[in-house]
Amino acid sequence: MRNYNLNIAGYIIRLESSDEAPDLLPAERFQGNICQSEYYDVVIKVHHGYYPLPENSERLFVAPYPADIKDTKITTRDNFWSVYRHQSGMFLTTNFPANQNKTAVLKFSFIIREWDLWIDGTDASTDPLEYPLDGLVLYYLTVISGDIMIHASGVNLDGHGYLFSGTSGKGKSTIASIFGGSGARVIHDDRLIIRNTNGKYYMHNTPVYRDDKPAESIINRIFLIEHGDENKIVPVTGASAVSLIIANCIQHNYNPELIARFLGAVSIMSTVIPVAKLHFKPDKQIIDHILENE
Amino acid sequence: MIGLDSVLSHSSLVVTRKTGNEYVLVPIADNIADMNSVYTLNETGAFIWELMDGKRTVNDLVQALALEYKTNIETAQSDVLSFINKMKEYLIIE
Repeated sequence: MRNYNLNIAGYIIRLESSDEAPDLLPAERFQGNICQSEYYDVVIKVHHGYYPLPENSERLFVAPYPADIKDTKITTRDNFWSVYRHQSGMFLTTNFPANQNKTAVLKFSFIIREWDLWIDGTDASTDPLEYPLDGLVLYYLTVISGDIMIHASGVNLDGHGYLFSGTSGKGKSTIASIFGGSGARVIHDDRLIIRNTNGKYYMHNTPVYRDDKPAESIINRIFLIEHGDENKIVPVTGASAVSLIIANCIQHNYNPELIARFLGAVSIMSTVIPVAKLHFKPDKQIIDHILENE
Repeated sequence: MIGLDSVLSHSSLVVTRKTGNEYVLVPIADNIADMNSVYTLNETGAFIWELMDGKRTVNDLVQALALEYKTNIETAQSDVLSFINKMKEYLIIE
């Protein structure tokens, strides 16, 4: 394809291949997000080849490779992706764990909605949003929109939305599976985007797995989960609630204005939606425990 | 070395948000590996933090804390110095 639109969490992302660039080949996990739209939140023009950063660009933020990426052998630990600034321009450089000859530079902006992406080391066709670019583009769309990207699973049971947040190993997938087995609609089991629409908070999935389809639900409760010997709900409020939530959020804290905006978004949300710590045993009794403690 | 005559203010390396009578503090970071540090200040910590305005001395903070919470000077001094020690990374000595 020479161009297509994606609807992810309500953001319309238009991808356009420039004249010299290879065809665009979105990965299978994006197929359910391809849409028709005259409007877009951001258009990304894809170019072919190496793009040198301007001289004297300042590196603001760096991410080393995660400790474990499934099915990928990492030979270098540093500089997975980085954020640079040059004058008013922002640049994101990245490597690709699944394709170690491929690199990319994204020129993005917090104001202008036309971004440029240079991809080097590709074949005749390429997925312009290969990991980690998909998550990074979505992250910056949440930043621009004042939304929240969080490590969490989410379910909707009989019209009530429950968000279960925790870092790896805390039980996000487990509790989503328990609810799913009892008839709840699973929004996602790993990563969600939270958006405020007309005063109400909704959780949206993002395409992570091959069979992901766009899904969303209102959020009625937020749980910060841990495995436990018994089912136990401990409400948290104020600064504790805010700090516990943001510890599980995706955030690049190099810019004070972005941090302040993000802190504000989480603070307001935690005054609207009840927040609690949830210790749970991995069986269906946790559903009754939550419903009995509404 | 911070003493009772020291004057402290907040570092620009941290962003704060007041929530009720408490604060959330998020440090500015240049590496994703440093993103786990989030601090909360309880009501007492928030009281001390707000008084660190680049004008008051540490001794002023001690006196104010003792008065506000009706405690003796020794306890207030211990609390203030303990707080400063914990938060020194995010404080500037004027």
